[in-house]
Parts: sequence; structure tokens; C-alpha cells
Amino acid sequence: MVDFANLYTYIPVVLVILAPIIGGIMMGIDRKLTARMQSRMGPPIVQPFYDAIKLWGKEPFIASQLQPILAFGYFGFSIAAFTLLAFGQDMLLMIFTMAIADLCLIFAAFNSKSPYSNIGARRELIAMMSYEPVMLLAAISVFFVTGSFMVGSIYEISQPLLTILPLTFLALIPVLIIDMKKSPFDVSGSGHAHQELVRGIYTEFSGYTLALVELGHWTKITLLLAFASLFWSQNLIVGVVLAFALFFVVLVIDNSYPRLDWKTMIKTTWTVGFLLIIANIVGLIARVVILS
Amino acid sequence: MYGDTLIALTVGFPSLAGILCYALNNRVARRLIVALTAVVLIGSSILLYQGGGFEYEPAPVFDYVVLILDLALLVYFLYAGLKYSNWLVIGLAALQLFPVAYFEFGLGGMSVEPMIVVNELSIMMSLIISIVGSLIVVYALSYMDEHEHHLHIEKSKQPRFFFFMLLLLGAMHGLVFSNSLYWVYFFWEVTTLCSYELIRHDNTEIAVKNSLTALWMNLLGGVGFVAAIYIGFLFVGTISLEELTKRSAAPISLLLFATLAFAAFTKSAQFPFNKWLQGAMVAPTPVSALLHSSTMVNAGIFLILRFAPAFRGTPLSYGAALVGAFTFMITAVLAINERVSKGILAYSTIGNLGLMILCAGINTPLSYAAALTLLVFHSVSKGLLFLCAGVIENRVHTRFVEEWEGLLAKLPRTTIVMIVGMLSMFLPPFGMLLGKWMAIDAISAAPTMGLLIMLMLVLIGSAATTLYYAKWLGHMLVLPQSGKKLGNEELPLPYSISLFSLLSLSVVLGVAASSVLGAVVLPTLPMGYISYISPNLFTIETSYGSFLLYPFWVGVVAIFFVGVLIALRKGGIVKAPYVSGENIVDSPDAFMTTADTQVPMQVSGLFMDNEFSASRVLNYGVVAGVLVVMIMFLTVVL
Amino acid sequence: MKTMTKARLKSPWVMHFDCGSCNGCDIEILAALTPKFDVERFGIVNIGDPKQADVLVVTGPANKRNQRVLKNLYDQMPQPKAVIAVGECACSGAIFHNCPNTLGGVDKVIPVDVYVPGCAARPESIIDGVVLVLQKLQKVSEGEKVD
Repeated sequence: MVDFANLYTYIPVVLVILAPIIGGIMMGIDRKLTARMQSRMGPPIVQPFYDAIKLWGKEPFIASQLQPILAFGYFGFSIAAFTLLAFGQDMLLMIFTMAIADLCLIFAAFNSKSPYSNIGARRELIAMMSYEPVMLLAAISVFFVTGSFMVGSIYEISQPLLTILPLTFLALIPVLIIDMKKSPFDVSGSGHAHQELVRGIYTEFSGYTLALVELGHWTKITLLLAFASLFWSQNLIVGVVLAFALFFVVLVIDNSYPRLDWKTMIKTTWTVGFLLIIANIVGLIARVVILS
Repeated sequence: MYGDTLIALTVGFPSLAGILCYALNNRVARRLIVALTAVVLIGSSILLYQGGGFEYEPAPVFDYVVLILDLALLVYFLYAGLKYSNWLVIGLAALQLFPVAYFEFGLGGMSVEPMIVVNELSIMMSLIISIVGSLIVVYALSYMDEHEHHLHIEKSKQPRFFFFMLLLLGAMHGLVFSNSLYWVYFFWEVTTLCSYELIRHDNTEIAVKNSLTALWMNLLGGVGFVAAIYIGFLFVGTISLEELTKRSAAPISLLLFATLAFAAFTKSAQFPFNKWLQGAMVAPTPVSALLHSSTMVNAGIFLILRFAPAFRGTPLSYGAALVGAFTFMITAVLAINERVSKGILAYSTIGNLGLMILCAGINTPLSYAAALTLLVFHSVSKGLLFLCAGVIENRVHTRFVEEWEGLLAKLPRTTIVMIVGMLSMFLPPFGMLLGKWMAIDAISAAPTMGLLIMLMLVLIGSAATTLYYAKWLGHMLVLPQSGKKLGNEELPLPYSISLFSLLSLSVVLGVAASSVLGAVVLPTLPMGYISYISPNLFTIETSYGSFLLYPFWVGVVAIFFVGVLIALRKGGIVKAPYVSGENIVDSPDAFMTTADTQVPMQVSGLFMDNEFSASRVLNYGVVAGVLVVMIMFLTVVL
Repeated sequence: MKTMTKARLKSPWVMHFDCGSCNGCDIEILAALTPKFDVERFGIVNIGDPKQADVLVVTGPANKRNQRVLKNLYDQMPQPKAVIAVGECACSGAIFHNCPNTLGGVDKVIPVDVYVPGCAARPESIIDGVVLVLQKLQKVSEGEKVD
């Protein structure tokens, strides 16, 4: 069943171990590029790792006994979701696992009696409600192309996914914006140096619990970017470039837009996301009908 | 060989037990009778499961018994309508009474052989009714004591209560075992009777009003049944379920199925017939749990699933699916603005029933399996949730979920059970999510162009479901007032038995979902429904994807374990929340504000009243529901 | 240098609290974050939540009204932490030190690690103060006794 002699079997394992690190580097690149866009120098690219290590060494303050467990749950389930992706497993299951990770974070925030944390958690729920259906629909559109929900089947098609599902790829932009907590959709707790409701959903996290949350966040970013790179599964380099391109577009949008409210978030994500993907699916069906 | 005994036990024993409860107005006797009934029912169902399907012809005297009881029932409904001057009830009861009387006496009725057919679907339903139903009636033993204590009722009405609860268990069994449309219809109306009587049990003005709404809506479904019997008798030539299921999809058969689907919609409270289930929440909680979430409303699903093979692939099938999909979406959205705990659970029930009808309507092997999976897991989880909600309501004296905070201190055991129950409703790796996963797979692969609409409805509904459950969970997870350790909770024996049994069942079935699929769901698939669904020890594999069941459970346990380890190793001091430095040292739940006043920290719940008004959406939803049902009927004609 | 110490020096998260200053020093502190001085390249981030902050930058004199809040915020910061008093008012109370409601400098309420004088303190001095604080944090992290 599993061929331990073949090196290829170890690639997913290595990827899973590297996932938070890759995500951390992407966050570092994010801060550097953002700074450059703002005519500043910006911190070094490995800055997120300094942050995380420092946080781990702080005196631990927790909001309740449950909070650290849930914070680790956020990180753990993000890794679990990425493991599903790395091993070519079911996309729907992967998205549902991402949802559990998010919910761990949300419950950890609800757990404390802080008003900031509470409202941040509610907004994060709405954010989840915004991007999850779009991601599910994107997975379903991939299903229409490959005939299977398994990530592994994407490697078996002859044409790159981007040429068949370009609009679905574009629909990933609002999803990535919400997940990376960037403007205009960072209503629940923004990235560094921005504040929304003090720190929004992250308010009551400190020290090692915050470090765990950061690690989880990085893993999720790696997950989404890896998913984006699947849109050119034929060539690894092109896939990575694609992921970077998506990332860069998100950065540009972040620096151009102020924070908007949650109603706009749902409306825009659903309108843009659903319309793009449905148009893509209809296009696919039309092509099949016309060709036959 | 002893199948007939089992039938008698599952149908007759509860009914007799109910009569006994009514006759003996004795608390201890009630407990004994209920316990005995539970044992008998659960034992009989398991024996039935082991025995497998069979046919049976009861003695002809039962035909007469059914006829007499049925007419008496309809007369009673007519009387109820007259008593409360409710024209809808009067009209609909009359609309059933006279055609039925004419059918039996004027047209001579129609005999069906065999009268009793037990197939895998009936056995599955029987297991659900027996296990979940019995546990709920056991729970009711304590609940009704507390309930009557609260309302300061001196002359106990419990005999009446348990009579109808136990009668329902018997009637449901009769419903799933009958092979004649007429008998099914009779038992169907007995469940309507139980529902009506139990909703108005407290005899308050609103209880009576809502019971009449429930009565007329269910009677409307009964009219659909009568229509189906007439069509079967006059045009199709049979009212045997077995025969009907084998018929080809001729338009007149489709019309029969459409009327039966209509009846199913009323019983399962799909839009536009949702109002009665929401109103039924005024009844005592065991009623909501038994009738209106895990047992009676399954009758509608059962009916559609029973006939699904007959209308497979027809536009009618997809029309019914659309009704289910629309209901799922709109109830999920409406539940966001609902503040009453049982109201949210009611919406959730209607929505999940809609999802099951959607799956039944899509009518592919995978979707049929999805519907069955959802049926099993929903009954267990929703029953559990209602029971917990009942306990909590009785203890904290409020129905509003915003006020259900700090419960972990007051009622630790019940709260934890409820939290796990809620998690089991919408998170992997529990069975409900497995069902939803199968449903999404099945809809995406459905052989109809309408699948895009249904997908959108399901995705939006699913997102809204996560929202309202998670925010309710958020309320329940709010820290208890500081300083109070986890309190000690007194749970009377019936509560402990029912809550922990259902919880264990929910978790065990969730972990063993592969076995549940293999042992119960897949054998229940009708003939000709072949699909690659392979549940094994590692994963549940279908042609389209793979649900890694056991790795997931292992992962959940592992993540929890490591999380606890890290929390223990790093430890931490519990600090008061950040409120801009205005914490008060002695009271961590308040903060200092202008004029040095202390204000308790309060956050209200998340409701979107400003974005959409629940009542308006409800009204539009009912109108839309009427339209969708009409579309379904049109598919038969066109 | 150990990894933990290096990480702490490379990522001091600053929380800024105004005790009642005229905002002159506050403007200078925020100016330090702007592209001209850009303290973010040292890893400094302006955090509003004391639970996530390492350095508390205080302006304005401590008075009877805000001493409770100031103490509360300081207590909600986890170790290792440091306090920078920016501006004359925070250092000693400046011209307000005799006022009936003023207690004096911030060090009357919480322990201060670095004093940055000036009215208003210039961004360069503030950055200087941060560097001093980092040196102090390094010593604390490496276990030396500091005064």
C-alpha cells in the first residue's frame, strides 16, 4: 500500500512539516512588500519567526483553562487540513476541517468574557460564512472538471486547471483576502499594526496561545496558496508563481482599500464569488453541449 | 415465524402500555410501565433487525378494527373543530371523513395482500423509533414531574400525557409496517391525533391555538392521502405499497406520488407548512423531542423514501427535491434571527428534514444513502439537543439563548452533553456532517440541470447553519462567573439515563459510522440502487471522494490530547479580560465607567434584525413555498 | 546570544498609553512609526492590547484619576516587560508636578525602565530610548541584575 522506499511518498510529510514555516515566510514577505508599497523599509522577512519565538517565551496569561486547548486546536486542525491537501485527499473534507480550525479559534474567543473578543468572534463567524460557500463551490467546480473531489485527481487532467476554470481562480481572491485578514475584509481582527476592536478576535490571546494562533494562521495561508498553485498542476514552478501572483494581488488590494463593514464583506464575497464560479460552470456546460 | 409477535409487540404493546398508564394514575406504575415498554420495544426492534424483512397477513378482524378506529378518529377531529369553531379543521376533517366512509362502504374498500410488509427501511425506522423514542419517554418521567411542579398543577395530567406518548410509538410502528395505503393513512392520522393532543396538553390559550394549527395542517396532509387512495383505487388499480413501488412512472401514478409527497411535506413541516412545527414548541419538551424532531416528522421522510424508487428520474422527483432544498436554505437563514432555544432547534429540524427530502428527491444511490444517513444521525442528535434544552430551561428558567451564559458552572454535565450534541450536528467527523458530505457529493453528481440551484441553496443553508449553531455554542461556552468552580449538578435518574445514552449513541455511531453505513444504510438501499459506496475501517469511499473517518477521529483525539498537554506544561494565570484598563479588582465581571459606576460586562447575541426581518422573510418564504409545491405538481402534468 | 533573547530584541511590541498629556509627545511617538523614521523595520509594532505588548510607552503625568488604569494596564502585560516614560510630564510631572490632582511622574505608579526627556520629545530621542530599553531587556533576558 504505502511504498516507503519511494522518495515521493515522503514529499507530503515534508510539506506538512514545512507548512507553518512557508506560511511564516509568506507573512514576512507580505510585511516587507507592504512596507515597500508605503515607501518604508519594513521589517526583515524572518520577522514573523522572531515574533512567534518571543511570544512563546512570554509569561503565560490565559483567559480560561479551555483557551490554550482551543488555540492549539486551531493550529492542529489547520495542519490536519493541510495534511489532507498534501496527501491528495478529499477537497470537501479539507474545507470542513478548515472550518473546524476556524471554529476552534472562534470558541476560544467566545470563551472569555471580553466584549472585544466576543464581537471579534462574531465577526469572524460572519467572515467564515462569507468565504466557506465560495470555497465549497470552487471545489465543486473542480469536481465538474475532474469528476472527483480528490485533490489527487487534479494531477491527472491534461490541461492546466487555470485554463479551464479561470474565473474560479479569480473567485479565490476574496477568499484569500478574508482568510489573511486583510483590508477590505479584516473586520474580525486585523494583521499587525492595524487595530480593529483593539485586537478583535485575538484580544484575549497572549504569549504562547497567541504564538499557536499565529502558527495556525500561517498554515492556513500555506493551505490556500497551495490550493491556488493546483491550478497549474502540470508544472510546479508555474504553480508556485500562480500562488505568488494571487498573493501579490491580495497585497495590492489590501494597500488600496480601507476596511469595509461586514455587510459589504458578505455581499461582495458572495456576489463576486458565486457569480464568477457559476459563470465558469455554465461556460463549461455550454462548451460540452456545443461541442457534442 | 415469530415475526407476527414482534409486530404485535412493537405496535400493540406501546398502545396497551399507554392505556394502562392512563388507567392507573400511579407514578411508580408509570415508571415501571415505561421502563418495560422501552425494553420490549428496543428488544423487538433488534430482533427484527436480525431477522430481516418479511411479509405477514394479519387476521381479517384487524381490517374492521382499523376501519372503526379510523372513522371514530375522524369524527373526533370533526368534533374538535366544532368545539373550537375552527372552520379549517371542520372542513378538512369532513373532507376526509366522507370520502373515506364512501370508499369503505360505498365503493367496498380495497383489500391488499399482504397487509404487513417489513422491509429494511421499516426495520431501520423501527430501530430509530424504539431506541430514541423510548429514551425520550423515559426522560419525560422526570421532566413532567418538574413541569407540573413549576406550573403548580395539583391534579396530575401525566396519565393522559404518557398515554399519547406511548400511543405514538405504537402508531409509528404501525405506519412503517403497513402495506396498504389505507392502513398507513390510518396510522398517519393517529400520529396527528397524538400531536394535537400533546401540543394542547397544558391547555393554555396559545397551546390550544397552536394545536389547532398543527391539526389542520396535518389534516391537509391527510386529505392528500385520501386523494392518493382514490387515485390508487380508481385509476392505478392498487393501494398496496409494494405494488405501487413497482409501477412504471405513468402520469397517473405520478399524481398519486405527488399527493403523497404533499402529505409528507405537511407532516415534515416543509415550507409552506412550517408554521405548525414552530408553534408546536409550546408543548412540553419531551413532546418536541419525540414528535417534532426525532420520530413523528420522520414519517414524511419515510413515505418519500419508500416510494422514491418508483418516481426515480422523473421531474416530480426533482420538484420534491427543490421543495426540500428551498426549505433547508430558508430555515437556516431564519434561525439566525431566532432567540428562543427551541425555536432554533425547530428551524434546524425543518431544515434537516428538507435536506433529507432533497436527497430523496435527487434519487441516486448515493443521495438515497445520504438521506438514510442523515435520518439516523439527525434523530439521535436532535432528540439529544431537545432533551438537554429541556433540562436547561427547567433549571435556569429562561428560553432565550442570549441568557444561557455561565452554564458551565451551574449545570456542568448537561451543558457538556449539550455542547457535544451541538457539535455533532454540524461538525466532522460526526455522522451529520458525513451525511451532508454525501449529500453534496450526490447533488454535484445529480443527473439534472437543476442541480446548480439546489447546490446554491444547500451551500447558503450550510453556511447559515454553521453561523447559528456556532453563535449559540459561543453563548454556552462563555466563562462562568469567576471564582465559581464547576458546580455540582443533581440529575435525576431518568435524565441521566436518557441524556447519557443518547450522547453515547451519538458518539459511538459517529465513530462507527462506517459500520452504520455498512450494516444499516447500505442494506436499506432499494433494489437497483447500485453505487460504489465502500465503507471500510479507514475511510468511506465513494466514486467521487473519500471521507477519512478513522484518521479524522484519531486526529481529533490526538489534537485534543496534545492541546491539553501543552496547556498543562505551559500553564498560565487566568487573567481578567481587557477592558481598556477599567477592570475592577474585586469583581472581574464588571468594569468601571463614568462617575465611577460599575457596569457588568454584557454582550448581546448576534442577530441580523437590521438586515432582514424574520417575519417578512417567513411570509415571503411561505409564499415561495406554495409556488414551489405548485411547480412540483405541475411537473406531473407537463 | 540565545535565540529567545534575540527574538525578544528583534520584536518589541509597543503599547502606547496617554496619561493625560497634551498629545505633543504622542504625535512624536506616532511619527516614529511613519515612513520617515519607520520603527517597524526593527520589529516594533504598535499594539493596543497590553496582553500582547512588551513595552509600555507612557506620556503625560500620573494623576489620581488615571493611576488605577495605568496600574491595571501594566499588570495586564506579561513578563518580560519594560516601561518607557516619554516626555517631561511622564518623567517627573514637569510643570504640573505641583498640581493638586497630579501625583508626579509615571514612576509614582509603575516602575519605569527608561526616561526620555523632552517637551515634546523628538522621534530620534524616542528611538534612542527604545534602543536603551532593548539593551535592558537583553540583560534581563540573559539573567543579569539590572537597576
